[in-house]
Amino acid sequence: MIQEKEISQNNVAGEGEVIIHIKDLYKRFGDNNVLNGFNLKLYKGENLVVMGKSGSGKSVMIKCLVGLMQPDSGYIAVMGEEIRLLDRTTLDILRSEIGFLFQGSALYDSMTVRENLEFPMRRHKEKLGIITDTTPLVLEALESVGLADAIDLMPEELSGGMKRRVALARTLILRPKIILYDEPTSGLDPITAKEIIELMRSIQIKYGTSSLIITHDVHV
Amino acid sequence: MNTVKQSLGGIKRFFIEIGELSYFAGRFFKEVFRPPFEFKELLRQCYHMGNRSLVLVMVTGFIIGLVLTLQSRPTLIEFGAESWMPNMVGISIVRELGPVITALVCAGRIASGIGAELGSMRVTEQIDAMEVSGTNPFKYLVVTRILAITLMLPLLVIMGDAIALYGSALVENFKGNVSFQLYNRYQVDALDYRDLVPATIKSFFFGFAIGLVGCFKGYYSKKGTAGVGLAANTAVVFTSMLLFVIDFIAVFISDIFYDL
Repeated sequence: MIQEKEISQNNVAGEGEVIIHIKDLYKRFGDNNVLNGFNLKLYKGENLVVMGKSGSGKSVMIKCLVGLMQPDSGYIAVMGEEIRLLDRTTLDILRSEIGFLFQGSALYDSMTVRENLEFPMRRHKEKLGIITDTTPLVLEALESVGLADAIDLMPEELSGGMKRRVALARTLILRPKIILYDEPTSGLDPITAKEIIELMRSIQIKYGTSSLIITHDVHV
Repeated sequence: MNTVKQSLGGIKRFFIEIGELSYFAGRFFKEVFRPPFEFKELLRQCYHMGNRSLVLVMVTGFIIGLVLTLQSRPTLIEFGAESWMPNMVGISIVRELGPVITALVCAGRIASGIGAELGSMRVTEQIDAMEVSGTNPFKYLVVTRILAITLMLPLLVIMGDAIALYGSALVENFKGNVSFQLYNRYQVDALDYRDLVPATIKSFFFGFAIGLVGCFKGYYSKKGTAGVGLAANTAVVFTSMLLFVIDFIAVFISDIFYDL
């Protein structure tokens, strides 16, 4: 079963604005009940870790949260908007407030680091205002993860830890209010994993984001 | 009994796949006319598929022209019909061999490439990342690729045909002492719009089939990295089969108009 571990210092559960609310979430694949009445509340400014063994439905839950998967039943609301009721345009606008760090980084192979970071800006120009030059924004996001020098490299030229950092920079480019981390330290050596955890903390302090972290790593 | 069950299961899966492919094609037609339009990506894909397939198509076309002429020559000489060589080669290449062989070459190169690329993007969650970032991945990845190969294949076919006709002329120039210009004039004179128009129209359909199947197999790739290989492989097999079916239908229809 999935367990929740509240690690925020900013909020005490039960107080403040609920930014993510999941109630009675069910999802099954054939005979396999992956999510069986899952409940969760994430408060503004909070970091919440959801732990569970492999195959316990953590990634399914987080994908339902951003509309990448449809649950069988249940209520999912992000910033007061019920995900299942939103049309594509409204969902895309809401998604610009959510950063998603994928398990394998999910950088676009055919694009440079700069293009990877510029990609989410294509559809959210209204949010960012009139931008004639995207370089300062890209550089700022890369500086936040300590990789400003990698701006013109291709993903294949980066190590696993660097890819994870660039992916983290990509989630920051639209200034999201919430960041979802799907196994942020999986596949990394302990030292790099520790660096990523520290980076996640520093980002939370710098940008004031709320975070939902899916992991099976007890060190997170 | 088991064999019968397996066969029925295979037939059922085949029809399910045809249904899913039709739905995928329907989604393409729904998305292609709906903004935002991804012109930049479309141009990039046109360059990628057209320009980078050009050498392969030209080499294949040239060899087909050479081989067809070399193989047909002795038989035509035996029947005293050597003078029909430019007509026979020209019509065979423009009507049938050029479009089909160019499409098969492109199926091998492009359908497998699309299948592997999209399959790899699917298993590494790049497609999900695109979706989360507010870009419609179907429009950005699928619509642009299908449109690009649909537009590029007829141009590749025309280029392949032209090179094949030159290859044929080269053989006759060496072996039959016919001038290059005269042989080419006979080839061009033998062709009319009833040869060119159906061949060009069916090239659009061939291109569409290559893009559609390649994207379909890659976009719904499963089973991790093994699924990527499977997507590339089945994309080529399925496309090749589909090309022959389309060719049969195209020949059948054009034959009706030819008789009018």
